[in-house]
Amino acid sequence: MTVPSARPPRPVRRGRRRFGAGKLGRGLLIGLFILFVLVPLYWVFVTSIKPSEDYLAVPPVWFPAAPTLGHYTAALFAYRGLDGLINSLVVSTGATILSALFGTAMAYSLARFGTGGQHLSFWVLSQRFLPPVAIVLPVFLLYRNLHLNDTRFGLVLIYTVFTLPVTVWMLFAYFRQMPPSLEEAALVDGCSRWQAFWSIAVPLAAPGIAAAMVFAFIACWTEFFFALILTGRNAFTLPTVFRAFLGFQGAQYGEASALAVVSLLPSTVLGMLAQKHLVRGLTLGAVRG
Amino acid sequence: MHPSIARVRQKPRPLAVWVDRHFKWLLVTPAVLLILALTVYPLAFSLWVAFINYDFTVPGHAFVGLENFRRVLADPVATGSALTTAWLTVVNVGLEFLLGLMLALAMARTFRGRGIVMTVLIVPLFISPVIVGQFWALLLQRPFGPTDYLLGKLVGHDVTISWLTQAPWNFIAIVVADVWQWTPFMFVLLLAGLTSIPPHVYEAAELDGASAWTAFWQLTLPALAPMILIAVTFRLLDAVKLFDVIFMLTGGGPGTSTYTASYYLYQIGFQQFHISQATAGSWLFLLAITVLIMLLVRKLLRPEAAR
Repeated sequence: MTVPSARPPRPVRRGRRRFGAGKLGRGLLIGLFILFVLVPLYWVFVTSIKPSEDYLAVPPVWFPAAPTLGHYTAALFAYRGLDGLINSLVVSTGATILSALFGTAMAYSLARFGTGGQHLSFWVLSQRFLPPVAIVLPVFLLYRNLHLNDTRFGLVLIYTVFTLPVTVWMLFAYFRQMPPSLEEAALVDGCSRWQAFWSIAVPLAAPGIAAAMVFAFIACWTEFFFALILTGRNAFTLPTVFRAFLGFQGAQYGEASALAVVSLLPSTVLGMLAQKHLVRGLTLGAVRG
Repeated sequence: MHPSIARVRQKPRPLAVWVDRHFKWLLVTPAVLLILALTVYPLAFSLWVAFINYDFTVPGHAFVGLENFRRVLADPVATGSALTTAWLTVVNVGLEFLLGLMLALAMARTFRGRGIVMTVLIVPLFISPVIVGQFWALLLQRPFGPTDYLLGKLVGHDVTISWLTQAPWNFIAIVVADVWQWTPFMFVLLLAGLTSIPPHVYEAAELDGASAWTAFWQLTLPALAPMILIAVTFRLLDAVKLFDVIFMLTGGGPGTSTYTASYYLYQIGFQQFHISQATAGSWLFLLAITVLIMLLVRKLLRPEAAR
């Protein structure tokens, strides 16, 4: 801490006037960007409750006079959005749990014992940057032999792999900043290494594990490419349902919007709950938020 | 001492001893096996496929050497999509960085309502890119989207832009969708970088009476540099995979003009079933990305190097 009173009086007058202009500029920038973020969200919401007659109205209808929930039932039932929703829920949950189990174990080993040195940890990290298109073809052929194509289990496995780098690296950083003294004390007291890990380190790391699980879940929930290739009529997830609305005949705008609202709500709410871990989640623990 | 603990100490079971001895390797085994099965094995398999004939339209699996690679490199659509990917990536990441930096600078000071503003600004990060594509299709698609109407009001005469089928507007649509989704990524990281710059860095500058502009170039930017590198690297490596927005907005069209590398490989592999040509192409794509990773990631990321 420097001593504030030791600071000589600054020529504040000019600076303060400039501060006023800067404040206005900042407010304008933030305001415009918020508008940019909100307009598509608002438009998709309002389209989802608009009667079909309003689609083509000039000027565009910003507040429908007779809102309807009909598009929601159509999207969920006629377009099988509900099946997609259930599949997304099952697959994302399954992959998140597997990723947390395997990822926590690996992260602990890397953080406490330096297993495999830098090579192993960077090898895991490099999976994060692997383009899905480079592995999806052989995975598709492999799954065809194993009868895993178009199954939820197949998708759970690939999503586990695809979220492991995030879980491992986030928790790697988390375990590293946790002092090992409690586990060491437990080992001295006769605990096995497994007990020290499972009964002491894991509960202490619970907040970090929960945050990693939220980001893994969001990643699975919003994933499109693997689901597009590896699923069909049975295991299709929510994002792939939007294919039904391609072609832009305009007739299904309400259904597409309704499904978008249904799909974005869970991941957005989860993301907001984990907001304070966001920086760590986005950089795989490389940066502390 | 607790009796059960005492017993463990006197007579350790052989299994428990074995588990304890190999504990660190046992912990990494499930994750490593899964990654081996679902990324290393597929990659090795695809390397083999890239050198043979594996094509649903041509029978047999004869060894063809570099023929598949030659076909990709000789395909004008492939080179075109590589170029499109490169410049779209540069434009997207560049715009996202500039906007994100400006927003971060604007948000660096506390003000009333900052928490709510933060929450709104990060929403796009949690939405599937497919849905983001859907958003902009709804807003831009003629005649249903309100964009042309609003632009018409703004400029004073009728605007009839076919945003999704007419160059250069289709590219602008793609860039707008990508910028909408990923500017918050840059913003969040750069803001974290800005707020972690210790205030004493600026105190000397204040004493010297340096202008805000000078302080930004000589103090803020250098202090922010490590975070800028991390943010741009992460974003760059994701931006080159651009697929979902293309799929939803333009479908690669009109013609093949908005094909990206991922979209091209998807079309060749899964719509035309030239599997071996697609794997050869994906290996070329992978090599290009690996160069990027080698150059950027290994130097940048150590678990506790950056703050």
